[in-house]
Amino acid sequence: MILLDIKNLTIELETAEGLIRAVDRVNLTIREGEIRGLVGESGSGKSLIAKAIVGVLNKRWHITADRFSWAGQDLLRLSYEEQRKIIGRDIAMIYQEPSRSMDPTAPILEQLIESIPDSELESSWWGRPFERRKKAIALLHKVGIRDHQAIFNSYPYQLPEGVCQKIMIAMAIAKKPKLLIADEPTTALESTTQAQLFRLLASFNQLKGMSILLISHELETVARNTQTLSVLYCGQLVEAGETATILKQPLHPYTDALIKSVPEFQPDLASKQPLYALPGSIPTLQHLPIGCRLGPRCPNARKECVKTPVLDRLQNHYFSCHFPLQGKK
Amino acid sequence: MMLHYFLRRAFLIGFVFVALTVLAFSLSYLFPGEVLNNISGLTDIQPEQRQQLIQYYALDQSLLQQYIAYVNRILDGEWGLSFSSQQPVLSEIIAVFPATLELASYALILSFVLGIPLGLFAAVKADSVFGKLISAVTLVAYSIPIFWWALLLIMLFSLTLGVLPTAGRISVLFDIPTTTGFMLPDIWLSDIDYKSEASQDAFRHLLLPAIVLATYPTTVMIRFTRDSMLAVLEQSYIKTARAKGLSRFEVLYHHGLRNALLPVIRQIGLQFSTLITLAMITEVIFSWPGIGQWLLDSIYQRNYPAIQGGLLVVSCLVIVVNMLTEILHTLFNPLARKA
Ligand SMILES: Nc1ncnc2c1ncn2[C@@H]1O[C@H](COP(=O)(O)OP(=O)(O)OP(=O)(O)O)[C@@H](O)[C@H]1O
Ligand code: SF4
Ligand SMILES: [Mg+2]
Repeated sequence: MILLDIKNLTIELETAEGLIRAVDRVNLTIREGEIRGLVGESGSGKSLIAKAIVGVLNKRWHITADRFSWAGQDLLRLSYEEQRKIIGRDIAMIYQEPSRSMDPTAPILEQLIESIPDSELESSWWGRPFERRKKAIALLHKVGIRDHQAIFNSYPYQLPEGVCQKIMIAMAIAKKPKLLIADEPTTALESTTQAQLFRLLASFNQLKGMSILLISHELETVARNTQTLSVLYCGQLVEAGETATILKQPLHPYTDALIKSVPEFQPDLASKQPLYALPGSIPTLQHLPIGCRLGPRCPNARKECVKTPVLDRLQNHYFSCHFPLQGKK
Repeated sequence: MMLHYFLRRAFLIGFVFVALTVLAFSLSYLFPGEVLNNISGLTDIQPEQRQQLIQYYALDQSLLQQYIAYVNRILDGEWGLSFSSQQPVLSEIIAVFPATLELASYALILSFVLGIPLGLFAAVKADSVFGKLISAVTLVAYSIPIFWWALLLIMLFSLTLGVLPTAGRISVLFDIPTTTGFMLPDIWLSDIDYKSEASQDAFRHLLLPAIVLATYPTTVMIRFTRDSMLAVLEQSYIKTARAKGLSRFEVLYHHGLRNALLPVIRQIGLQFSTLITLAMITEVIFSWPGIGQWLLDSIYQRNYPAIQGGLLVVSCLVIVVNMLTEILHTLFNPLARKA
């Protein structure tokens, strides 16, 4: 079953010079039990998409979409309050800035406990405080925090960023969401802990059927942990499909460049030889090119590219380029 | 870490007291007239007394020893005599000071009781008509000169409507024995048989001055609470708490209020010196027998010992309140303990 189905999601920022389109008509679908990756360079709009889904962007951002449905239910027809209720119940998010996403003046225990919804509790109301506490301890143990006593009474500023990130993960899985959006969930952690937390997320996916949207700027992390993949460049969706297919045969010049820039995927490359990279760098929001936003950097660009390409498909493989690569076919 | 903090505060407050007493002590020299008169408060000193007094006040010794003698006298409660009444300055201060404190504390309480809820409301419902109305009225009230505002109220309620008195703390008909110096508690503590009439009368006397004095701190409180709450509502932790599935009320109650109101504690201390200045003006307008009026009279009469004592008390009060609110803020706000 398709859980999340978004069509033409557009996110615009209100500025003195008018609206700036940071995310341009992006499509995203997530099935039940699927782990989808969302990759793109820093500043490509990954976090914006995630925040728009859970509804935490402030009023300066204008969000529009042609379709936004959750488990078959059209959310655009519901009132804001009803949307919040459904999303708050079923979707959880691990934020990229853990310490800024926690209340600075509330001790950790309080924040962790309020993440556990009443529906997760079994005891009658007088047993609840105790049960919540027990659950909170179990959650911390799950994410690899042993010393719960010291953590409970701490405030976020007293803890290192890595611990805050683990606590965020604990808070996110507390309500057993149907979809977990993990925005760079392990950046503040050392690599052994990273692997451990990815195993934890994978086990939630297998045992509880929880879908995951894994956001990262590192293609290799995403490739290792996901079944399907969406590639974002500068707020535009450039390619989407099965992770393995895309890695084997990218159709979009940007994806191709992204793959070639990762040493892990280039076993034939002799050591010390420079990796392939596109010329130039990702444009800022103030200087977006018209048409295909990759245009100025694209090796295959021609004059047709000043028109934005529409999303095309080859079976289950979506791409948005006037001149897709078909070299290896 | 907390102990360290308190030690630092204690050290700072000690230092400030030394600075204040040095200033007050030097006034005896800076004021015109003879040092001996200024320091003792005696208006005419017989030649045969003179030598004795010089010795008593250590005027024949070094400035440092004079200062130490001065501090000792201050601590012993010997603050000299008032030029105009030839009564001890300290007992005069003790007689007038509670009236000021009473007026100022009611105004402060009023500003909290009105300011915080209105400010919160103006922030949470910033787009509603009522929210905008609060902001507009606050801006007007903030800019009104206190003199004009007081005269306006007096004209309306006392002269035109004739419902409220214009001067004093209580009608001269009532004779209330002084215990605390605060009028309302004194009435309740006394065993007179016209208690309720007296309280009503005292309350009617209190109403206009308290409203006039509360106007400025209330507007400051509304604006501060509103801005603080608006800033907190924009923070990502508020949005993420909402995304956790908490209701709007839960988010406001558990995360919004605490973060928005903690800085308000400190605001009391910062506003207190303005409040005391305004209280003095209010006392003059309403002939309220407090330290402000007493101090102004002393200035007109060039009553140097009284000015000296009055300034010392008022500045100590401001500093102590500042320090206390600062300490309270640190105790309650985990972020203040961060540094
Ligand atoms: N609060 C903001 N005000 C102005 N511009 C913003 C704001 N937040 C994000 N942006 C801009 O929107 C664009 C997309 O930002 P976003 O945070 O989604 O990037 P990202 O893909 O998550 O990058 P990263 O890998 O660095 O997290 C960026 O160009 C960024 O500069
Ligand atoms: S549409 Fe043109 S510019 Fe854009 S990626 Fe394809 S070839 Fe390059
Ligand atoms: Mg991001």
